[in-house]
This record gives sequence, structure tokens and C-alpha cells, in this order.
Amino acid sequence: MLPRTDGFHWTATHLIFLSLFFAALLIIVSTLLSGIWRTVADFRKHRANSVCWRETFQELPENERHCRHELAGRVASRLCDNAFDCRTCRNYAHFAILPATWRNGVGVPYSDRLLYHRGHTWVHPELDGTFSVGLDEFANRLIGRPDSVQLPEVCAELESQGIAWSMSRNGHHIRVRAPLTGTVIATGGPDQDFYLKVLPHGKPNLRHLLNGPEVPGWLASEIERLQRQIAAPGAPHCLPDGGTLMPNLMDAEPQADWDNVLASTFLDM
Amino acid sequence: MSEIALLDRRWITRGVQRASAGRFALWLAPWFVLLFLGAYAAGLCFFYGLNQTNMDNRFAFGLWIFADLSIIAMGAGAFFTGFLVYILKQQDLKPVLNSAVVVGFICYSGAVAVLMVDVGQPLRAWFTFWYPNTHSMLTEVTFCISCYLLVLILEYIPLLLKNRQLRKIPAFLVFEHQFHKLVPGLAGVGAFLSFFHQGSLGGLYGVLRGRPFAYRQGLAIWPSTFFLFILSALAVGPSFLMLVVATAEKVTGKQLVQNSVYRKLGFISGVLLALYVAAKAIDTYIWLNITSPAVGFGPRDFYSYWPLSSLFLFIATVPLGLLPAILMIVPVTARKRGCLLCGAVLASGGVLLNRFVMTVQTLALPTLSFDSFLKYTPSWQEVATFGGVIAYGVIVYSLSYRYLPLFAARKGADPNASQD
Amino acid sequence: MSARYGMVIDLDRCTGCGACMVACAAENNVPPAHSRATARTGITPMLVRRLSNGTPGADAREAFIPITCMQCGHETPCVSVCPQQAVEVDKATGIVLQMPQRCLGCRYCMTACPYHARYFNWWDPQWPPGMEQTLNPGVSVRMRGVVEKCNLCHARYHAATEKAAGAGETQIDPLDYVPACVEACPTVAILFGDLADPSDPVSIAADSPDCFRLLAQIGTDPKIHYKTTQDWIRALADRNSLRSHSPEAQHV
Repeated sequence: MLPRTDGFHWTATHLIFLSLFFAALLIIVSTLLSGIWRTVADFRKHRANSVCWRETFQELPENERHCRHELAGRVASRLCDNAFDCRTCRNYAHFAILPATWRNGVGVPYSDRLLYHRGHTWVHPELDGTFSVGLDEFANRLIGRPDSVQLPEVCAELESQGIAWSMSRNGHHIRVRAPLTGTVIATGGPDQDFYLKVLPHGKPNLRHLLNGPEVPGWLASEIERLQRQIAAPGAPHCLPDGGTLMPNLMDAEPQADWDNVLASTFLDM
Repeated sequence: MSEIALLDRRWITRGVQRASAGRFALWLAPWFVLLFLGAYAAGLCFFYGLNQTNMDNRFAFGLWIFADLSIIAMGAGAFFTGFLVYILKQQDLKPVLNSAVVVGFICYSGAVAVLMVDVGQPLRAWFTFWYPNTHSMLTEVTFCISCYLLVLILEYIPLLLKNRQLRKIPAFLVFEHQFHKLVPGLAGVGAFLSFFHQGSLGGLYGVLRGRPFAYRQGLAIWPSTFFLFILSALAVGPSFLMLVVATAEKVTGKQLVQNSVYRKLGFISGVLLALYVAAKAIDTYIWLNITSPAVGFGPRDFYSYWPLSSLFLFIATVPLGLLPAILMIVPVTARKRGCLLCGAVLASGGVLLNRFVMTVQTLALPTLSFDSFLKYTPSWQEVATFGGVIAYGVIVYSLSYRYLPLFAARKGADPNASQD
Repeated sequence: MSARYGMVIDLDRCTGCGACMVACAAENNVPPAHSRATARTGITPMLVRRLSNGTPGADAREAFIPITCMQCGHETPCVSVCPQQAVEVDKATGIVLQMPQRCLGCRYCMTACPYHARYFNWWDPQWPPGMEQTLNPGVSVRMRGVVEKCNLCHARYHAATEKAAGAGETQIDPLDYVPACVEACPTVAILFGDLADPSDPVSIAADSPDCFRLLAQIGTDPKIHYKTTQDWIRALADRNSLRSHSPEAQHV
């Protein structure tokens, strides 16, 4: 190489050229290494799941990011700016104390005893300290009976907003988000009244799950979103005026853009 | 939906409309044919040697070098758009930034591929890094283009990782999230590298004192062609980007970016083109009246041979120089998309003509007074290889458009409306 | 002390016989031309070109001009452009040496050379069976994809230095270092020697007013000088003097 080349001697040109080149190369390589290092750090510090969820949240269109407080009628209009994670939202308490409005005639049954995740799973605290997790009625009526279900193994760890289990239906692969963090202690399925039983580590913070007047407001907006997405392109918008969501909509409307519908429903872009 | 269609759909960004898998395959098919033909021609050159081309000892550089210089000039839109968005904070150009990165990646990887076929001993390519001649413009070009291709690959990776299926892999998504924050730094390095290699490509010819047609005086070690090539590359980059996006819009039948983006790109291109024409005019005057006569050459030596006469100089300056600049700057014409694109085509033509003149005309003209004007026609292998690179570009861009979020969705838009 | 080897080629003596070209090819292991080779893809480190004054009839005149690497001494174009320093100016001899083993085949040097004295190996060298016995063992064979040119038979210089070293001498005997083309010329049209040595005949000849260099105005300081007393040759070949535009130059 240079210094051993016969007759070679260092000149200012060599120094300038090579130092500029190596500086540029150093910046490029260190940028790549920095990216890799930060990624590894995110995994080590268990932040990877949160990063993935926030990146996915960024892909949601604005009209699918209504804040729970808007859905509950506490505010006229508000978009969520914290990836639906009310546990860390600085404005949560400010809005939570405002009076809410209950909606009637939503079009899909729901229960006051359940806490709902915006990815259409419900959580029910059991007396033994575990939490049952299931698919809500909106999702059930949307997809009907899944063709196959891949549940996590017992003792598997779930992270809130991560992926809990997956299903397939009519060739579509559906990933269902976990509503809470904990260890899977039992698995169920579509034939049982739960999909998973989860034991959280300590007392879980479930503030991000919907309850009370938020649930009908949210379900009504979901049905509105569903109607928009299923309608043929160019067709006028129809607003619901009563009636309930029919079961097994996927088979009833095979021509709809289910790819889009399922992505919005299960928050998996 | 058939299984193949479903499988294909799963790889497409959710919520966007794309042509059916069958139609897309039909679109790609002829380009693949062209690509394989190019690969075959390149294979012949690797196997049998460069005698497969029509290059010879007098035309040591031919179609491929012209193609390389032109492709790299067109790819300048990549670094320039990145520079405008990240360094000069021109956020209204953000919608075309991803496209610019893909175009840049295609142009530089294609140019390097052609270069590997063009050199006699491709396996010795690393010699330039091991025994660099810091006085040679080609050394500078090699170093900068290699580094910049690395930058473009790294800028392309986050876009690739945004693919719907790839982002499901947590490691990819997290890396994309982290790396995305570091891209502005890369854009800065990319701008620095691009500045130098665009200039050095011009410097390749400007330093040739043995070719008075190409030789120019300049500033310190840099001949004027160094600066002129940078300026022309900056001018044509946005134009070419406009043409690529407009073509994508035409082929897909969608409006992908707003008119204001076109106007801004056109305005930037037009202003730089006008500056370039002025600088080139001054440079030409100095070259014809001072530099060349000092070594015993003059316009008669350069422009006496048809068809490469002074008409080329006029064409490069006015119809392919001033006219497109005016079309893209003056509001009366710049307001109309057709005029803007016409300007972009003419500007690109002007830069192609300039690259042709510097590569081919330099070699065609005699230097020794008893020599004659020479002609050169590329062989089918050369044309096919060039065609293969163009096909490669179309294929990569088409795949990127179909499977990657190339154009940012407009927030709050009606999801039923035809959009991207 | 460093030498500056160069030549003075007397165009009034050159008959265009081409013996220099043949000797060069033989000395430097230039392979037989491929069946598809043309005048522009052959390898001719020494190339004799024909000059004609373009006048028909009795006033028609022809001359021959051997073109070879001019061994440029000032800002040598090919040296400064080679990206991997495969060309260098030898300090001891002033010869511009090409290293085919390091050549990438980018051909930038060929573009840079104003004398078109560089040649690319477009084909792999092949010798018909039996002809490999004509190979000169002192000169390496080049593979396809690399550039080559005249190096003033540097292998002969090398042999001369070895002979001198063997005899305990520090300077070579000038008679031991004579390039093949100089040796082969039947009319002694090529004078070869050390331009840096004022007593050397080539140095004295180069100072003659009848001498000129091709493209001297470009300023590359070529070491190959041409000598002629005929004005029309001077006018045709030397850009510094009056030029006409009807010259026809052809290869022999």
C-alpha cells in the first residue's frame, strides 16, 4: 500500500485527500454502527415492543386516531398523540374528569364488566388475580369463525401492545395485539369463552383500556369506519341508523377490501 | 382473490390501490426481457473480453462512459433533494424524497455495474483503493462514487424495511426507527461526496491537456469543467426526478404529488440551468479565445467536422439550455404541467448532449494535425448492456413503488379517494 | 546521474519499410493480431504513419513518420491520470513505464494521450502452435484487458545494467542499450541516446533547427524529436508552423 510503494512520499495532497475520504467513510460506518447499537440497546432495555407499536401507530390515518375522550363525548374533537397509551399520557387526567355522554344503539353488543383494548380484545379480571383475554363481539362478527388460530404457549411472555396471538381467515393472516403485559398461564380458543388467561407481574396498569361511556362511542366510530371501508369506491357515505352488525361479515361481503379492514381493526399495519 | 393475488396483496402497503398482480407482471415482463438481454451482453463481455464492443484504441471510451456520466448526472437529484429537505429544511419537497433516494440508488448502482463491465480487469477494481493516485480525477471519482453508493444503500434500507411484511420483524422495525433519525447526517455526507464526484467527472475531461477540446483552465487544481458539471448535475437532478414522478403518475393513473412540488422542482432546476448556461458561456469564451489558442488550437479544429459542428454549441445553449430554464422559471409557463415537463425533458437533453460532447466528441476530434476525424458506433452488446441498466432501473422503481410507501399518504384524506 | 533517454527520428531517411514495427513486435512479445482486429484495435507500440502533401501529379510527395510513445517529461498526461499509479516516470532513465500487472484497463490514459501511443489488449494473446518459441523471455506477456505502450525496450536497459553491475561498473555502456526499433532500422533513421548528456549525439541532434516535436505547444515536453529539412513535412506535422487542411494520413 502507499507507504511501501517504491518512490512514495507523503505530500499535502495525500494527507488532504485521504483524511477527507476516511472522514467520510468513518461517518458512514459509524452511522450504520450507531443504528445497530441503538437497536440492540432498545431490545436489551425492553423498549423494542414500544418502539414497534409507536411506529405502527404512526401509520394509522388521522381518522382512526380519535382520542378516547372524544369517543366518550368529553371533548368535541381530539386526536391521540400518545399511541393510545393512556398510562403515560400527560393530558389523561385533565380530560378524564370532564362529563361524558353515553351513546345508545351502537349496533354491536358489549359488556360493562369488560375492559376493551382498541385492537378489539377484551380483558376481564378474575378473582384469582389472573386476567382473561378474548376477542370482542365486533371482531367476532367481522371475521366469523377463524380458519386457524396460533396461540402462544403457556408460560410465554406477553407485552402490552405487542402481538398476543394470530389467526387466519379466508387466506388473511390476522395478528391480535396483547391488551396487557404478563405471563400466559392458560390458552383457550374460539370454542371457549376466552382465548388466553394471563398473570401480570404485580399490579397491572390498565388505564389504556376502554371502559364506561368510551366503549359505545368507540364501537360506534368503528362501525362507521367499517361502513366506509366496505363501501364500494365512489359510493356515497351511509350513516348507521340502527340495527346490529351481522355475524360473519367476511363471508357476506367477500368483495370488500378486507386487507384494509383487518389492518384497521386489529391495529396491525 | 386468488392465492397469488392475496400473497401479493400482503406485501403491498395497506390502504393503497395497486394494479392487479397479473397486470403488474405484464408491465414488468418486457423490462425483464431487456434486463436479461443486457445481462447476456455483459456476460459476453466478461467472458470474451472487450472486443465484443466497437470501442478501439482511438475510441477508448464509448457509449458506456457516456451512459455513466449521464446516469450519474441524472441521479444528482438524490443528494440534492436530500440536501434541500434535511439541510435547507425545504419540507415541501418531502413527498418526493423517497423517490429521489430510489432514483439515486438505481442510477449509482447501475453506473457502477456498467463500469465493472467497461474496465478490462474488473477483479482489479480494488487496486484504485490500494494504490490511489491522489492527482488523478478518476481516483477521486472512484472513491467518492463507492462511498456515495454506500450512502444510498444505507438511505434505501429504511425505505425497504418499511415494507409491510418486513416491518413485522421487530428487529427490522426498531432498526428502521433508529436509523431514520440518523439519515440527515448521511444526507450531509452524501451532499459532500456528491459535490466532489459530480465535479470530478467533469474534471476527468478538464485536466486532459492532451485533448485541447476538453482541456480547461480553472481554479487551483480544478478545471472549470469541475464546477460546470456540478452545476449542470444540480440543474438536471430535479428535472429528472420530475420526469420520473410524472412517468409514474402516467403509468399508474394516479396523482402522486401535488402540483406545487413540481413547480418547486422546476423552479430550482430552471434557476440552476440558467446559471449553468451563463457560466458555460463565459467558460466557452475563455476556452476558445485564450486556453486553446495558447496550445495552437482553435474553433476550426473543434467545429469543422459535421455533424459535430458549432450547431451543437448553439443547441446546447439555447433550445436545450435557455429555453427550458425560461419554461421552468417564468410563471406563465411554469404554471402548466405540460410546459414544466417539456422544460425538464429539454434540460435533460441538454445535459445528455453536454456529456456526449465531452466523452465522444473529445475522442472523435484529431489532435495530431495529420490525423482525421473519427467515427464510432456502439455494438449491440454495448447498446444491450445500456438497455439492461435502464430496464434494471424501471424494474427497481416499479417494485419500490408497488411494495414500499414511496409517496407519503396525505393525512386526513378520504380513504375511498384514489390516492397513494 | 539520471538519464533522459529519447530519440531523434530523421523523417528524410525514413522509407516506411516498417522494420522498426516488426522488430518492436518481436521484442515485446506482441501477439499475432486476432482475425477480427482492425487498424484501430491492433497493438503497435511503434506505428509508422504515412504523410502526404495532398498535391496530385508530379508534385505529389509522401513521407513516413514513426509514432511511438513520446516519453513526455513534464506533467506526463498518462501518469497523472492513472487511478492506481500503474504508470510512472522512471527517475533513472526518464522512461514512462507502464505496469500491466497493475493496470485496471480503465483506458483513461488512452484518452489522455494526445499522441494515441497507447494500446489496449482487446483480446487474449494467442500464438499459433510453435510460434511461442519466438517469445522474448525478458519481456512479460500481457493478458487481455490491460493497456500497453512503448517503454523504450526497458528490458534491454535492465539487461545492460545487469551486465554493467556484473562488470563492476556503475554506468551502462551505451552500446549495450539500444531499443529494437533503433537496431532494426536499415537507414539509421532513428537516433537514440541520453538527452540529458550534452555530449550525446542525440542531444546534439535535437538542438538542430530542423528538429521539432509533435504538439510541443501542449507543454508535455516529449522526448521524441523529429528532424526534416522538407518544409511541407514540417508544415504538416508541426502545429507551430503553417498548416493546411487537406492532409491525408494513413497507416503503412
